[in-house]
Amino acid sequence: MSHLKKRKLAMSVVAVAAASLLALSGCGSDTGSSKNSAGGGDSAITVFNGATGAISENWNPFSPTMLQPTQGVIYEPLFYYNLAAASEPTPILATAYSWNDAGTELTITNREGVKWSDGQPLTSKDVAYTFNLIHENPALNTSGLNATAKATDEKTTVLTFEKSSFMQEPQILGNQAIIPEHIWSKVTDPTTTINANPVGTGAYKVKSFNAQSYVLEKNPNYWEAGKPEIDNVQYISLATADAASAALVAGKVDWMSSFLPNLKQMIGTQKNLSYVNTPAMTTSLFSCSNAALGCKGAQTDVAVRQAIFNAMDRTQLNKLAAGDFAAAASPTLLLPERDKKWIANPDDVEINQSADVAKATGILEDAGYAKGSDGIYAKDGQRVSVTVQVVAGWSDYISAVQVLTSQLKEAGIELKSIQLSYNEWSSNQTKGTFELTLDSIGLGASDNPYYTYQPRFNSSTTAKVGQDASTGGNYARYQNKTVDAELAKAASTEDEAAQKASYAVIQKEIVRDLPYIPIYVNSTLTEFNTDRATGWPTNDDKYAFAASWKSWDNGIVLKSLTPAKK
Amino acid sequence: MRFYLQKLVFYVVALWAALTLNFFLPRWMPGNPVDILISKLSAKGPVSESTRHALELLLGTNSDQPLILQYLSYLGSVFRGDLGVSVTYFPANVTNIIGEALPWTIGLIGVATIISFVVGIALGQLAGWKRGSWLDNVIPVTTMFQAVPYFWLALVLLFLLASKVQMFPLSGGYDVYSVQPGMSWDFISSVFYHGALPALTIVLSSIGGWMMGMRNMMVSTLSEDYIVTAEAKGLHPRRIMTSYAARNAVLPSLSGFAISLGFVVSGSIVTEMVFSYPGIGSALLTAVQSNDYALMQGIFLVITISVLGANLLVDLLYALIDPRTRVRA
Repeated sequence: MSHLKKRKLAMSVVAVAAASLLALSGCGSDTGSSKNSAGGGDSAITVFNGATGAISENWNPFSPTMLQPTQGVIYEPLFYYNLAAASEPTPILATAYSWNDAGTELTITNREGVKWSDGQPLTSKDVAYTFNLIHENPALNTSGLNATAKATDEKTTVLTFEKSSFMQEPQILGNQAIIPEHIWSKVTDPTTTINANPVGTGAYKVKSFNAQSYVLEKNPNYWEAGKPEIDNVQYISLATADAASAALVAGKVDWMSSFLPNLKQMIGTQKNLSYVNTPAMTTSLFSCSNAALGCKGAQTDVAVRQAIFNAMDRTQLNKLAAGDFAAAASPTLLLPERDKKWIANPDDVEINQSADVAKATGILEDAGYAKGSDGIYAKDGQRVSVTVQVVAGWSDYISAVQVLTSQLKEAGIELKSIQLSYNEWSSNQTKGTFELTLDSIGLGASDNPYYTYQPRFNSSTTAKVGQDASTGGNYARYQNKTVDAELAKAASTEDEAAQKASYAVIQKEIVRDLPYIPIYVNSTLTEFNTDRATGWPTNDDKYAFAASWKSWDNGIVLKSLTPAKK
Repeated sequence: MRFYLQKLVFYVVALWAALTLNFFLPRWMPGNPVDILISKLSAKGPVSESTRHALELLLGTNSDQPLILQYLSYLGSVFRGDLGVSVTYFPANVTNIIGEALPWTIGLIGVATIISFVVGIALGQLAGWKRGSWLDNVIPVTTMFQAVPYFWLALVLLFLLASKVQMFPLSGGYDVYSVQPGMSWDFISSVFYHGALPALTIVLSSIGGWMMGMRNMMVSTLSEDYIVTAEAKGLHPRRIMTSYAARNAVLPSLSGFAISLGFVVSGSIVTEMVFSYPGIGSALLTAVQSNDYALMQGIFLVITISVLGANLLVDLLYALIDPRTRVRA
């Protein structure tokens, strides 16, 4: 026993010594150039798309948990919709499309000369197969597609809908990966396959995979001549925002999208770093606005919402909470820069950035509120005191709420806040069990305002407090017959002028009612390292939504890059 | 025989109770997996009204089924070894995810636990043998490390040794930039290098207990008559220390060691958080954040089984070593 024990001890000492030696030597070789794996003139970049923890392999373009480059980098859509700028859809796998007048038939012409990464040609049969597969499998049908498809000849596909479906257009053209029939017809269960060796038309194909990172390599059969130029793209998983920013500074990551409050200083000291800001999500106070559906609290009174809207000093909020990166929002909840043509009233393009306390208190007084001894307005013994729910750990939102609390106090409104876990916050929001909640208005399928308004303002997308509001969703419990009617009208036509007329009516209603009180358009910061690759989107040329987590845009950005040292 | 049967029945009941809690606890938490998936998807792109329906079909989260039926089918599948499908890593099996995460945790925490036990016992033995030497002064220092909250100690070391003096890497299980996992020297050395600092923190924070326990047991063993006899026989002091004193003094520590091995799996959460280490702890955190019932239950099951298993082993072993424990009081 004693000898055995001694040997054990000796062994463990050796092990510790070996480990620390390794540590030292490993350190020495590691601090130098970070990437020497890609030798022989191969160009390679590393992307961090927000993945944390272990990565699970899944290249199934129908799966909700697919790896992000599945869409756009490996599989491609028919058209590409750039949500970062006002633009027309760019042809990808299709070159043209047209609707019949009733909006029940969509004819798509596909691009000739496209090959799958296994060398087989893409035909209209593949396009038809993709849409029929979705139609036949309700579990794949996340978009509510109600169409059957038919390949009428080698390059033409016709989709037939049961009813007028103009508003399905961006979903079908821009948000659906086209898959090869010759591979997928052999897949036994398209809902659960992880599609380990994906065959797509995209610029890259899978080279290697493991739980911490995966590598994509150039697709030699890619249809666009001479592209892509970067040979390998590595996607990695990092633990935290801190780890990500350290990796960026160390030159270990070439492309990532994280909010780094000290970004401007970082860029100032390192020449090879640059960034682009694509503000896209309107950070807003969502209010449970409809007493008829069971909302409780002072914010169910439209006067209170208007007062809150006017009492905000948005310049200060931007400085103190958003790192001065946020852009002005529009009370119509559209994006002022991109969607100017859709905003009917020029006064509604951008919100007044400074606070108008007099106007806020005026609105309250006109509505019958009187200031109490505590400086807070009240009516019928009810104080104007509302509680806002924020996700614990979302530091920029938490500081926004702190700033808001003192700003609203000036106008005689008491704002209290509670921090919740993400799960509880999200559950409360869907169920309507909140007074105010701080969230953002996400991107729609295209820049048509229908995709912003339909889910959030249509009566059909809401529910009583306590029940789940349907996806999307109308969390404010907003109901307005005029808005419902105009949304239906806009959906039934392809005529932009008619749509604009409908949106003008809707905008008037929602700017007055303010179920979602906009604060600012929050920044989406994307950081690049230009040492290994150039050709990234810039603030002047937003040819794609630059964020490293944005699905289809990734494919466009990656094939636009060129190796830095030629 | 009756004793062993009683023990076994007790552990089966404990396992059943744990499984039942395991089923109900996640369901009492707010939020549901479909909501979480939808809000994640909506950040990446548009989601439409049909998304919820499709996801419910896909994940089989049929909330119409009565809870009791869900419970029964859960118990049934656990005994068939089917832990279900993870929502976070859909469509991967929970068994596979745990299988991938477990080696990291067992490797890091297991090895660190063994090192701290072996080193602690060895130092404690010496300290007890040479009472009043400088080694006695080491004990308060090590117990201080044990008293300091573990995450704080780990953060301080991470800051000092990985951020200020860049001796160790900041995070991860290996260097993802230049190394491919496999049976290559590059990969193995990278794993050692990345595991060194987390292992060091665990050893530092747990060595004190072993050392103190062993030292005090040594001291009381050394006053036994058979030690005096051994000395009178003129045996070599080292032989007395190891074969006569330490061998008997280590017994209570051994049972403690078996129990701490049982906690290897569950004790990893904070370590893996601080060092962003892949393993069961990170998997559990992800599961909780996404309301991934199946994955949570799978991990709890592994933790439960490892703790219960280690306890059972100690119980049975002790009864074998010390017959007195078998007799009812």
